[in-house]
Amino acid sequence: MTQKELHNPQLIKEANDRILRHFTRRHFLKESAMGMGALALGSFLTSCGSGASAAAAGAADVDFALAHPLAPKLPMFPGKAKRVIYLHMAGAPSQLELFDYKPDLMKLNGQDCPQSLLKGKRFAFIRGVPKMLGPQARFEQRGSSGAWISDNLPHLATVADEICFLKAVSTDQFNHAPAQLLVHTGTPRLGRPSIGAWTTYGLGTENQNLPGYVVLTSGGHFPDAGKSIWGSGFLPSVYQGVQCRSEGDPVLFIKNPDGMNRDLRKASIDAINNVNRQEYKEYNDPEIISRISQYELAYRMQISVPEVMNINDEPQYIHDMYGTKPNEACFANNVLLARKLVEKGVRFVQLFDWGWDDHGTDPDTAVDIGLVNKCRTIDKPVTALLLDLKQRGLLEETLVVWGGEFGRTPMMENRDGKQNPFKGRDHHVDAFTIWMAGGGIKKGYSYGETDEIGYSGVSGKVNAFDIQATILNQLGFDHTKFTYEFQGRPCRLTDVSGTVIDDIIA
Amino acid sequence: MLLSVTTVFGRLHPVLVHLPIGILLIGILLQWLHNRESHAVSIQVIKIVFVTGMLCAWISCLTGYVLSTSGDYEEGLVDWHMWMGIAVAVTASLIYWKIVRQETDILYKGLSIMLLLLIMITGHLGGSLTHGSDYLTAALSEVDDAPLPVHKPISNIQEAQLYADVIQPIFQKECYSCHGRGRQKGKLRMDDSVWIMKGGKGGPLLIPTKPDASELVKRIMLPTTDEHHMPKEKPALKESQIALIKWWIEQGAGFDRKVKDFEQPGKIKTYLLALQNSGSHDQDSLVPAVPVEAADIKSMDALKEKGVVVIPVAQNSNYLMVDFINAVNIRDQDLALLVPLKKQLIWLKLGNTKIGDSSMSYIGQCQSITLLQLNGTRVSDKGLPALQSLTRLQSLNLVGDSVTASGILVLKPLKHLKNLYLYQTGVKGKDWATLAGSFPKTHLDTGGYKVSFLASDTVVVKMAPKKD
Repeated sequence: MTQKELHNPQLIKEANDRILRHFTRRHFLKESAMGMGALALGSFLTSCGSGASAAAAGAADVDFALAHPLAPKLPMFPGKAKRVIYLHMAGAPSQLELFDYKPDLMKLNGQDCPQSLLKGKRFAFIRGVPKMLGPQARFEQRGSSGAWISDNLPHLATVADEICFLKAVSTDQFNHAPAQLLVHTGTPRLGRPSIGAWTTYGLGTENQNLPGYVVLTSGGHFPDAGKSIWGSGFLPSVYQGVQCRSEGDPVLFIKNPDGMNRDLRKASIDAINNVNRQEYKEYNDPEIISRISQYELAYRMQISVPEVMNINDEPQYIHDMYGTKPNEACFANNVLLARKLVEKGVRFVQLFDWGWDDHGTDPDTAVDIGLVNKCRTIDKPVTALLLDLKQRGLLEETLVVWGGEFGRTPMMENRDGKQNPFKGRDHHVDAFTIWMAGGGIKKGYSYGETDEIGYSGVSGKVNAFDIQATILNQLGFDHTKFTYEFQGRPCRLTDVSGTVIDDIIA
Repeated sequence: MLLSVTTVFGRLHPVLVHLPIGILLIGILLQWLHNRESHAVSIQVIKIVFVTGMLCAWISCLTGYVLSTSGDYEEGLVDWHMWMGIAVAVTASLIYWKIVRQETDILYKGLSIMLLLLIMITGHLGGSLTHGSDYLTAALSEVDDAPLPVHKPISNIQEAQLYADVIQPIFQKECYSCHGRGRQKGKLRMDDSVWIMKGGKGGPLLIPTKPDASELVKRIMLPTTDEHHMPKEKPALKESQIALIKWWIEQGAGFDRKVKDFEQPGKIKTYLLALQNSGSHDQDSLVPAVPVEAADIKSMDALKEKGVVVIPVAQNSNYLMVDFINAVNIRDQDLALLVPLKKQLIWLKLGNTKIGDSSMSYIGQCQSITLLQLNGTRVSDKGLPALQSLTRLQSLNLVGDSVTASGILVLKPLKHLKNLYLYQTGVKGKDWATLAGSFPKTHLDTGGYKVSFLASDTVVVKMAPKKD
């Protein structure tokens, strides 16, 4: 470009015009895209509630500190339980072979199911008229409380006096995934926070080097509802369950990559967090704060987690007690881990054990074969857990919950109208057993009864909401007031139902 | 919908009635003052006051009539109240008519006095309806003023009175507010055996030995949504309460025998057992019932700086929990920081920290502590005497500490100690019997539990051989 050209007014005008046009077009596109985005974000932020704004408005009962989302927080009233271990038997074990003894059902064994029980009912697999199936286990009354426990759980039978049974639990979902979601998130549909997320949201966690909510799975498969059952739903994602593994790296990718030392790791996390902080200044999205604190927690967890997740430093007699299996991802190892985690102050530990779906389509799902084997994998560890918590003085303030997502039918399953090859039971919504121990719950107590054949509850009927309300109550929360602003209304775990089961509270 | 609108209309009555009372009394006052020059107001004002009062009186009559149809009130009394109320409205209307006609004859004055009397009578009848007919006099009469029984914790349920200790507390808590001394809805009173057996408006309350035919049982078992459900508009009774009431009626609904005199089915036995020692919860709570002033913020911050969790035990409570889970390397002298919080500190968690005996003197000063965790520390027998001053201590965890039976015996004066965890301590063999004798009310947890090995533990059940 020559001097002459540079001073050519026409050219300059032309150039200015182009620059202007360039800028305006780009500007328009950019701003409109960002503008719309910002509008959308704005609406998300208000609807997603950002508990902060709700707290500022005095609507939320929980003091939500953005910078320390997991800092310990106050319950509404002093709770008897400080921590929860929830043992979920995914697939739904048969209550009729474990806790709900029905001698009268034996008398009907092999007979056609009466029409009155089938009328208006829908089952997952039973079609036509199935045969009744008597209890496939020997029962005995255990301990001084006289709780009925079958021979499938001989060890648990020795600690019957520590346990409170809920014998008449019901649900309205007969498929695994929705039923599991209902038990853990209070709705059969996806998208709501799990009870562990609610708990860490409400109470935070005392140990700042460990996550507040840990999930351990066993049995070879995830539960049918997938990771949503320990998700955070509309709560900030920092409250979702952290899935740990009992074998290999406890948390995936927690180790430093090859060639990176801890200082370098620290430096890179600091750099990332700085960028994130700037980002937060610009957008005010609370999820960014969640991310910053997650990075920091992950860094601390690199030291603390391998330590707590290592069960090898436990003495041999503890291993014998739990019946652990070295270097294997199994339920027993997870239960021992659960004890270690609550000992370290983890607020909510959830164990999912897959493989309890006793249909009788193959030996592994037969109530007299597969179920018996499955019971043997949990009997010792669960018993050991109760005793070990007790001797460490932890059972007082740790609530242990055991259960499936629904029950099994008193009828033998006849898939598509044909008799199944093995003795099995279909999904059943009207009655099943869940038990609790510790955490201020009555010891050696049975609540609720089912009819003569275990088909439905006749007294003490409770549902998932009642159980959730009771768990929250033990932790120090009134479930009707423990809310989070979402989509324009305060939402709660139990939504619009649930009654605390006062009768089982010690 | 229509029904509920009229119900709401009816329920406005107790609010609306105050309008005619007030307005008409003002009217009467103005009427009487009208003759005294110094205080006289214009006749126009009196007219306005009376027309308003009259209208309000008629509206009150209407709402009152609707409310009386709900049947919650004693019939005779309601009738009297209604006719008196109508008389008030009529009299007020007559006075208004007189004012309009500008007649101030003897009738005018007579009506005015009559109105005053009628308002007083109607008002009193109305008050008797809502608060009970003996509401005014109850404070004066001593005869019927026996205080409600205060229930002491039951130490042995079998020796307890079935009615007085088991059933009556349920009635007192759930029923007396509407069916007691103050109010007798549905003409039912339940605070004495005579009235219980007499029943209410709808007939007998219960039929001894026939629980399922008894109105009481029917009503408490209705779903809460049913309008006949009792307790009205309150949550249903607990399953255990219903079962106990049914059992009491089945056994004849007597009022003077002990629990042990009756046959107890398995379930009833558990419910009865649950009553034993219950009710003592409040005094045994890990959180004192008496509130405390807030702790000094600076003292709390000093601890927090050491990485210690210092947090109230609940919202609206100033009592504190202090947890050293993030500060396991704390030194003994640092525990001096606890002393300024001694009034508020009730739960102290020092598990798996490195503190030793010399820190116990600081803990000993914090006499509000109810729960103390010293498991996995360097505390030994030497430190324990300092804990003798923790008279409110209920739970003490010494798991894994090098303490022995002789050291623990110094804690004998701790009367409220309920749980003492001694797993992996120096307590051995015969020591347990000694300790058990010295701590009769304490649950001593020995730990060292074993889960025995059963042959079946490792056996895998295989498919049974096929049979045809």
